[in-house]
Amino acid sequence: MDNIAGQNQGNRVLVNITMLVLVLLWLLPSIGLFVSSFRDRDQIANSGWWMSPFTVDLNFRARSSSDDMVEQNGIFVIEGNVFTDPSVAGRFPDGEGTIGAFGPTARDLDAFAPGETAEMPRGGTLTVEADGSYRIEHDEPFARGPAIFFQALTPPAFTLDNYRTVLFADGMDRAFINTLTVAIPATIIPILIAAFAAYALAWMDFPGRGLLIAAVVGLLVVPLQLALVPLLNLHTSIGIGQSFLGIWLAHTGFGLPLAVYLLRNYMVGLPRDIIEGAKVDGATDFQIFVRIILPLSFPALASFAIFQFLWTWNDLLVAKVFLPSGSASQVMTVKIADDLLGSRGGDWGILATAAFVSIAVPLVVFFTMQRYLVRGLLAGSVK
Amino acid sequence: MKSRLYAGVATLALISGGAMAQDLIVEPGTDGFNWESFEEFAAAHDFSGETLTITGPWTGEDGRMVNNVMAYFEEATGASVEYSGSDSFEQDIVIAIQAGSAPNLAVFPQPGLAADMAARGALAPLGEETAEWMIENYAAGQSWVDLGTFPNPDGEEEMFGFFYKVDVKSLVWYSPDNFFDMGYEIPESMEELLELSQMIVDDGGTPWCIGLGSGAATGWPATDWVEDIMLRLHEPELYDQWITNELPFNSPEVVEAIETYGTFVRSEGWAAGGPEASATTDFRDSPAGLFQFPPDCYMHKQASFIPTFFPDGSEYGVDYDFFYFPSFDERDLGDPVMGAGTQFAITNDSPAARGLIEFFKTPIAHEVWMAQSGFLTPHEGVNLDTFSSDAFRAMNEILLDATVFRFDASDVMPGEIGAGAFWTGMVDFTTQGDAQAVADAIQARWDAMR
Repeated sequence: MDNIAGQNQGNRVLVNITMLVLVLLWLLPSIGLFVSSFRDRDQIANSGWWMSPFTVDLNFRARSSSDDMVEQNGIFVIEGNVFTDPSVAGRFPDGEGTIGAFGPTARDLDAFAPGETAEMPRGGTLTVEADGSYRIEHDEPFARGPAIFFQALTPPAFTLDNYRTVLFADGMDRAFINTLTVAIPATIIPILIAAFAAYALAWMDFPGRGLLIAAVVGLLVVPLQLALVPLLNLHTSIGIGQSFLGIWLAHTGFGLPLAVYLLRNYMVGLPRDIIEGAKVDGATDFQIFVRIILPLSFPALASFAIFQFLWTWNDLLVAKVFLPSGSASQVMTVKIADDLLGSRGGDWGILATAAFVSIAVPLVVFFTMQRYLVRGLLAGSVK
Repeated sequence: MKSRLYAGVATLALISGGAMAQDLIVEPGTDGFNWESFEEFAAAHDFSGETLTITGPWTGEDGRMVNNVMAYFEEATGASVEYSGSDSFEQDIVIAIQAGSAPNLAVFPQPGLAADMAARGALAPLGEETAEWMIENYAAGQSWVDLGTFPNPDGEEEMFGFFYKVDVKSLVWYSPDNFFDMGYEIPESMEELLELSQMIVDDGGTPWCIGLGSGAATGWPATDWVEDIMLRLHEPELYDQWITNELPFNSPEVVEAIETYGTFVRSEGWAAGGPEASATTDFRDSPAGLFQFPPDCYMHKQASFIPTFFPDGSEYGVDYDFFYFPSFDERDLGDPVMGAGTQFAITNDSPAARGLIEFFKTPIAHEVWMAQSGFLTPHEGVNLDTFSSDAFRAMNEILLDATVFRFDASDVMPGEIGAGAFWTGMVDFTTQGDAQAVADAIQARWDAMR
């Protein structure tokens, strides 16, 4: 018995470790994205996000300025401190640091220890102390201040600039409201229609019901991209054009097959006795639907609402096609892709930040309705 | 609560209203700008109350700059212009045209796409007069007219596209400090460039940073390499025949160009990270190697827009500089320049749309963007002093000095080749190195299209 129990325990540890590894693996991209959202473009280009929490030796260049040049006993001297250079201010905000090594050219950047004196390629000598103060001497005046290359221990640096850019971008509030204007009706309308349809398909007897259900299931596999142009054509010809009404209709149409299918399968699993009892008592179909079916189907309704809301919230394609292209009707996804990222994209920091900002509302929706989702996912699968 | 909501809505309306009214970024009357052309245009055109819708590929900062230019058109004519840029312009405009919801004007970055739209009858011809104006006023005017001329649905050639905003692609970027430290000189010919690359390798450095990654368009930077080299190996006429496939893709001339590109990317130690890394590095991250200490590479070939992706605060002439991607001395083909550009085409005709095309003929329409950033123009009537930086002035001079100007071939080839097989073929060549096989495969795709 002991043996078996031990085996079980071993198994459980193994299972737990496997689970932990899987979860970490699963979360890794999100963590990377999250860390990147606090880094600026240059940092992202220069080192991996996994290096960001550590103090590392990084290479920098500071430029001396010929404006600081003074003549002392016939030699020309420039003095200053590398850490006060504006180009490194981002990493040494208080203008202090510790030099690990330095050099007069980018290639021999770690050739000299602090306090040593280096010959410079354009003539003259360079001395850098550990605290970053430097002294350049030459017997001829400098046309341009020479560059100083150095290695310094750099503390980790994070910035909220990306969040500032994304949250306070011109028109972001408008885009947020636009997204809500699209997502809320585009969630409610299909649920309303689908609930009625699902009841009819589940509990009302009429010829061709089976075929109709088959048709709805068939529509599930039609990709919506197929319908974009014909649908927009239709909208233009009946005078809706590109508008919020148009996109509500489009989202409704694209969402309905799944909604009808999901709700019908759930409703069909409700106990027949209740519905028949109600019928015997003289309830009409509408009364049965409103008084009995709807309250009982709440988990399925809620889980579909979450699906549809997430999908319309994140949608870029449908919004681009069915909404006018002006900034007055941009939704958040379009605003981020077309305005914040610029013509050639590549601002990963902004992209990562935008992802986390736009995730916020769906997360709230998800967690408030999550308990229904768990129940609702089983909708129609077991009786 | 309700009143607070209303106040919020009112504030919002105010904010958005404020965003609509554009300020003029250059005060009318400022020295150096051609205000006469502006006033003349304003006196001759009045579109008060009309709205002009434009869609194009410029988004973000570029989108704001084009809006700044449009503010002058609004000021002159009283029309209101709604420009909207899209990241997926190429798809959006096709959908809009098919669905009958096209804007007044569209800005096409690829002549191939504009030609498709013209053949469907979606574009309105600009007329003889505009073509003649362009021949007279643009440097190498005829070639710009030709690039904007497509067959209409009846198969007749008409001019549909008006080029405005041009990029020069034949540029090599470098860090003057790094060159000075190592004692390298700017190469004057392709022979010298090849020598310099070898010299850098011998000194223990890496000459080139090459990055082909660009999402779904991965591979395009390599097509620019091959096109630029093609122009330097052979007569421009062969280049034109290559675009129309009169010269097959797998002919020895094209294979030679691909192999010369291979010399740069596949020679041992020439490209940072080797060919595999080059094929996957994003083109936007690739120039970062120039600015590492010590540098990952010494040179980077890319179009005039690339400084946008240099580290923040980089300064032209101090942190970076560029030279013309040189031609072979021994071939004696002059100094060809390869470039790209965007053309305006009328997708929904209106007097105001015609008026905007007229506006682009005035020097001021060019100078206002020159004073911002990223804008080059072949317009000969502009004052080059209005450029915001020496870098752009120098690039514009390369453009105006070109003995031969040719458009980016992959943008002119049919989409399936120029925006498909050519891109992927270049990635295959970069990693595997068999130029003939890649060229054969691309030609097979071209044959299959007929």
